[in-house]
Amino acid sequence: MSLPTISRVPASGLLRSIRDLRWLLRSIAPLATPRRALTQMGYRRPGQPREDKPPWWRVKFDLSKGLKGMKRHFTLLKEEFFAQFIGPMGKPIIEHMLEQNQVLWEFRGPHSLQEWTISCDREIGGKSEIYLKVGRNNETCLLYGTLCSDPPKDGETRYSGYCTMRAKQPLASFDRKRYHDWSSFNTLHLRIRGDGRPWMINVIAETYYTHQKDDMYSYFLYTRGGPYWQDVKIPFSKFFLAHRGRVQDDQHELWLDKINAIGFTLGDKADGPFQLEIDFIGVCKDYAHTEDFAYEKYKRNPEV
Amino acid sequence: NVSDGPADRMKCSRFLLQLVRSGRTAAQRGSLLLSPSSGQQFRCSPASAKSQPEHVRFVNDNDTKKTKSLVTQEDLFEQVAKESKTKATFNQVIDVFTKRDIRRRGHVEFIYAALKKMPEFGVERDLTVYNKLLDVFPKEVFVPRNFIQRMFNHYPRQQECGVQVLEQMESYGIMPNIETKVLLVQIFGEKSHPIRKYQRIMYWFPKFKHVNPFPIPQPLPEDAVDLAVLSLTRIANDLDAKTTVYQLPFTDITESGEEISFPHIVGIQSPNQMELLAKHNPNRPVFVEGPFPLWLKKTCVYYYILRADPTPPEEKEEEVYDPERCFYYPLQLDLDLDRDLGDEENFDVDDLDEGPVFAMCMTSRGDQTTLNQWISGLQQNNPILGRIPTLFRLDAGTRELEGVADTEAGHSHRPHPQSQREDGPPAEDPEVAVEEEKPRRSQGMKQ
Repeated sequence: MSLPTISRVPASGLLRSIRDLRWLLRSIAPLATPRRALTQMGYRRPGQPREDKPPWWRVKFDLSKGLKGMKRHFTLLKEEFFAQFIGPMGKPIIEHMLEQNQVLWEFRGPHSLQEWTISCDREIGGKSEIYLKVGRNNETCLLYGTLCSDPPKDGETRYSGYCTMRAKQPLASFDRKRYHDWSSFNTLHLRIRGDGRPWMINVIAETYYTHQKDDMYSYFLYTRGGPYWQDVKIPFSKFFLAHRGRVQDDQHELWLDKINAIGFTLGDKADGPFQLEIDFIGVCKDYAHTEDFAYEKYKRNPEV
Repeated sequence: NVSDGPADRMKCSRFLLQLVRSGRTAAQRGSLLLSPSSGQQFRCSPASAKSQPEHVRFVNDNDTKKTKSLVTQEDLFEQVAKESKTKATFNQVIDVFTKRDIRRRGHVEFIYAALKKMPEFGVERDLTVYNKLLDVFPKEVFVPRNFIQRMFNHYPRQQECGVQVLEQMESYGIMPNIETKVLLVQIFGEKSHPIRKYQRIMYWFPKFKHVNPFPIPQPLPEDAVDLAVLSLTRIANDLDAKTTVYQLPFTDITESGEEISFPHIVGIQSPNQMELLAKHNPNRPVFVEGPFPLWLKKTCVYYYILRADPTPPEEKEEEVYDPERCFYYPLQLDLDLDRDLGDEENFDVDDLDEGPVFAMCMTSRGDQTTLNQWISGLQQNNPILGRIPTLFRLDAGTRELEGVADTEAGHSHRPHPQSQREDGPPAEDPEVAVEEEKPRRSQGMKQ
């Protein structure tokens, strides 16, 4: 919620944090099956030496993996090819046009955890922990861990203490990016069971310019706690635009036609263990909700 | 980063100036100190209280003139911190600084140091203190006077400092008031970065103030029983649920003289839960599980639940609605509402059946004796509990609700015949005094 930094001001030995690192998700932590993604230039912790290895150094050349990968890609390609004949998005057109509810992520079994990535402020040197496992009876997923908001002692970071879970980008054949298309829906529906902590839901949409790379549309998720499941319905018009955790002045509504991922973040400065159980995440069309956007687009230079 | 050269030199010179100045002002104050009767050590006025540590430092400086250590602005706070850390002393430090120099040299470092020390003094949520801190800035010096100054980020360090004050206010969730705005306009002028940040705070804070559908009262009740009642009504998810305080906390002194403290036990149960428990098959056990965490802002409380496994499909029976239960409207409608094709409002997910929850309770000490007391208290209203075996699954740490497949190894078993225990506790339990709602059906049993 502040200006982009006055970068002409020298640091002068004072503690300064350039970004609010609470909602910064860069590196990817290993899950049940460890799989480190190949990020081009991952986040480099302040104080760590730069790696001078060439980019191809990180690629693992393995014949059996390569063959399996080829098989997977060609299978996907074949499916995509034949899906076109069924209808848009692989569904018959009458279903695509008329559907009012769509279940996006349903946690039934360990295979559903492969679509998610977890991260916490351990990446920047903090002391939080986060784990993801399947809930009881393979029917839910449990995100749990410990939050610790002691900032890492690197002289730069001021705030710390966040844990996130983010869906991986859906991929088509040959690792091409595929987007979620939620243009016929207007509400996000979650069934969760938390422990009373306030979370934040972030939706990452596809952008064009590199400056918009860390743009996120966020909204709050307040959990009630207790043994009963909680149905949360958040219309997409309520999501506000934030960049690296800072709410932007120039707000516009979330465009639903190209969504990359959705994520949950916890950063409520309350140190201690946390847990969140998710049953399913879906989108639905609420005919009673007619609001376009909840926040006014106010003047750029308002009067004082 | 832009070259730090001139700024660093300025900063060094500023520190040296402060070193010299501290010697000089201490000397001035040292002379002042002699006027009030300072033979005693008591504080007669804030001025003299402040000057005492200054006086001491002056004496030290005289002796060790050669040591030129860097004096930071935090030293003022640290000296005061040795005495007491309250809002009054914090305000005193700010007053000392403002009265020290008309030009307020080094005010930016002082304000940064003050922002860092605020949590130690306990004033980080106090708006008046922030306004007083903003008052440290000299007024009208940093206001741009023409369009070139407005364009080129006039006095960037001070503007950044102002923004950081507002950012700390924002991170603690404090809403600024009109005094803040007037101060900021006087110090930085309109269209400055701190004013822009103030406008952003004033735009977004009201929007997000009431966004929590389960608001938590601030401040939280300090009494453990009140806190338990609040959190149980929160998680009950039912407005008909009734809380019962089975035991208030007290300490008992036994004959040998040692004190045993008894914890509070607060339980909650709604009529729906009572019905479910009444319909429960006595052959199947019920489980007391816990402790589960519940976070309220920054405090974590733990609750225990009484639940049973879901009934297997062969034992499930259709619930028949009795049409005479409600005459105002029919409980069951058999209409074909003529929905359109694809007009489906439910998600295509399997319904999770985790088994019914019969009651919840909160207690400060979650061992089996305390929970036994809770169960026996529950038994007053749910006599079927006397016939159902109760298993205790008490594990420490965070866990989710246990599933059907989990084995019961290592869990304790409550004795099956309950009848002889029923007469004991209600008769001799004098602590079950507070009962807010409907009279207990078991009053007759108590005599």
